[in-house]
Amino acid sequence: MTDWLMQNGTRLLEKIFEHVYMFAIALIVGILIAVPLGIFISRYRKTSQAIISVTSVLQTFPSLAVLAIMVPILGIGKIPAIVALSLYSLLPILRNTYLGIVNMSPGIVDVAKGQGLSSAQVLRGVILPLAAPVIMSGIRVSGVYLIAWTTLAAYIGAGGLGDFIYTGLQNYDINYILGGTIPVSLMAILFDLLFGKIEKKVTPKTHR
Amino acid sequence: MTVLFQYFSENWRYILIQSRTHFLISLYGVLLACLVAIPLGILLAYKKKSNSLSMMIANILQTIPSIAMLSVLMIFFGLGSNTVIIANFLYSLLPILKNTYAGITNVDPKLLDVAEGLGMTRIQRLFKVVLPLSISIIIGGIKNAIVVAVGITTVGTFVGSGGLGDIITRGINMVDAGEVVWAGAIGAAFMAVLLDILLGFVEKKLTPKQKRVSSF
Amino acid sequence: MKKNKKKLIYMVLIFCLNIILLTSCSCAFPGLGGSAQDNDIVIAGGNTTERQIVSEIVKQMIQHYLPESKVHIINNLGSTPIIYNSLINGDTNVAGVMYTGTSLTGELGMDPLGSAEETMEAVVKGYYERFDIVWFPSYGFENTYSFMLTKETKEKYNLNNTSDLEQYADVLRVGVDSAWLDRPGKDGYQGFLDVYGFGFDNLFSMDIGLVYEAIASDRLDIALGYSTDGRISSYDLVMLEDDRDLFPPYETSPVVTMDLLKQKPELEWILLKLQGQISLETMQDLNNAADELKTEPYKVAKNFLAENNFFEEVARSSLKEIPLYKDFDLDFEQD
Repeated sequence: MTDWLMQNGTRLLEKIFEHVYMFAIALIVGILIAVPLGIFISRYRKTSQAIISVTSVLQTFPSLAVLAIMVPILGIGKIPAIVALSLYSLLPILRNTYLGIVNMSPGIVDVAKGQGLSSAQVLRGVILPLAAPVIMSGIRVSGVYLIAWTTLAAYIGAGGLGDFIYTGLQNYDINYILGGTIPVSLMAILFDLLFGKIEKKVTPKTHR
Repeated sequence: MTVLFQYFSENWRYILIQSRTHFLISLYGVLLACLVAIPLGILLAYKKKSNSLSMMIANILQTIPSIAMLSVLMIFFGLGSNTVIIANFLYSLLPILKNTYAGITNVDPKLLDVAEGLGMTRIQRLFKVVLPLSISIIIGGIKNAIVVAVGITTVGTFVGSGGLGDIITRGINMVDAGEVVWAGAIGAAFMAVLLDILLGFVEKKLTPKQKRVSSF
Repeated sequence: MKKNKKKLIYMVLIFCLNIILLTSCSCAFPGLGGSAQDNDIVIAGGNTTERQIVSEIVKQMIQHYLPESKVHIINNLGSTPIIYNSLINGDTNVAGVMYTGTSLTGELGMDPLGSAEETMEAVVKGYYERFDIVWFPSYGFENTYSFMLTKETKEKYNLNNTSDLEQYADVLRVGVDSAWLDRPGKDGYQGFLDVYGFGFDNLFSMDIGLVYEAIASDRLDIALGYSTDGRISSYDLVMLEDDRDLFPPYETSPVVTMDLLKQKPELEWILLKLQGQISLETMQDLNNAADELKTEPYKVAKNFLAENNFFEEVARSSLKEIPLYKDFDLDFEQD
């Protein structure tokens, strides 16, 4: 293992960088789509169930197939990989955003409106801060999964730590497999810890 | 569409066999995990240990990418469906364990007091009060596990397990046959949804009719 | 507290039992295929169409001549190292197709040899002496790695040989098999760097099945693919000559473990019936039938064997008659 590290150290760093890069963009794109969508559908409770069902079915599509289908449409490399990954990140964030808003006691919003706040102000000042912990936990779950899923990007030439894992699998070399897996797991655990802290930070004092 | 239709009509028997393999591999893994994770979850809930070592291990297992897990297991356990069943087993531990723990700790302690007052033994309380009341949360965990397992089994084709992943790989190797890739993918998604609905029925059957009792 | 400890021990016991149940015993789960430990014949297939078709041919040949035997295929194994390890570990005992060049530089760790005969000889002897596995004579076709591209790209850059790629190495988008990039043998990327003296700036390591489609849809300029792949003709691709002889000859053969041959000596003449029966053109047609015409490999194999009447007319022979195998200890009890 140490020999392997000596030989592949710089490449390992490169792959870690690629991995983080794809993961971070995919997650940010996922958040930018899922949070507004979650806020939006929380106003239309009937259609919301349908939209959440659609995204959960999306989630069950095997990643292998989704990536293969992306090739003729979006080509190979990082972009189709990021698109596929952000699709996968949607569900937990969307569901939690929706639940966070819907489960808030309706009285709070009424009180805020009664005090003359506009809907935008209510959203920014009341709804989002109160739903933040639930949304954050959605992002946390999504992120942990996404770090692992980013390995599949190697399948369509996008690089990342998946390259090492594939090479290890194909060439039956445990050094490569572990060299890819251990950093991925460590990253996921770190992300989980970090976001656990953030989740606590954004929880309003009264909720603690 | 015509490609898909032609493929299905010519190979329906093969597709059925692969679906059956896929179904069994996913199911066996989750069932084995139930055998371990539910009793363990009950135990942890009784001891009120939310941050136990076993939970931590299950958590870490969850962060391992499926292809890596399968590769490592392949090196130790060889090729074929058993390796994928072990992977499914390991991935299913956390969702089931977590939900069992949550389900049981959520049972109203007042109810337990009442049950004790009625002279129920510990075992009776577990089977007649605690489990029926937490079953829907536990099954929720099993549902999560099964969706993941169906997905993992697709990747399992790389270690020679068979299943719908074989069809997806075939589609990838064919000329202009995105449809065949979709056929495998839709098959897997359909299976996940179907199992979800099935477990929903089981949940209904096992949940006591008057669940709302707890609000007295 | 004591009770709980007991319970915990039970838990651990159940866990261990599970794992033992799963792995140690030869018993497969109900409804799922067996393994080589059940005294069944288990063929290692591959993730390429070619490996799947030829493995099916081998399976159906065995079933035809030995109707009572159980034959399984473990399919979609991604590379030769995986198949080789499955033979060594006893997960499988037959490999449908192995390539001489790949095994020469891979498992046997030797340098590429010039001629096909020398390569074959080295691999047959190496496998027999080192792994106790019998490498059969060739099916009659070769499948080499080759850089391929569309005609338009070829004309645009005026490319004829692999070495012509050098001047465009910084602009060309090149897709290669992830198994090739870090493969230990001297015919991998490291070998390419040594022999050709240049590398590519835009190198994508990806699944081999996807490279052809990626070229056809102009997502890649060059791909390293297999010369027998049916998609070369489907997508009208051309191959560049390996003008510096990086790649050794890759002749194709079935491979069987000695253990299995001892149990089923009939396999010797069954597999020898296939010797030289699949030409390069035939293999390309078979691949094409599966990939372009979308017939499943088992059907392609079935049709092929039906057309040739399972090679009933080919006389039974033994390996002893071939000079290369004359020193092999292959005297088994024939039924």
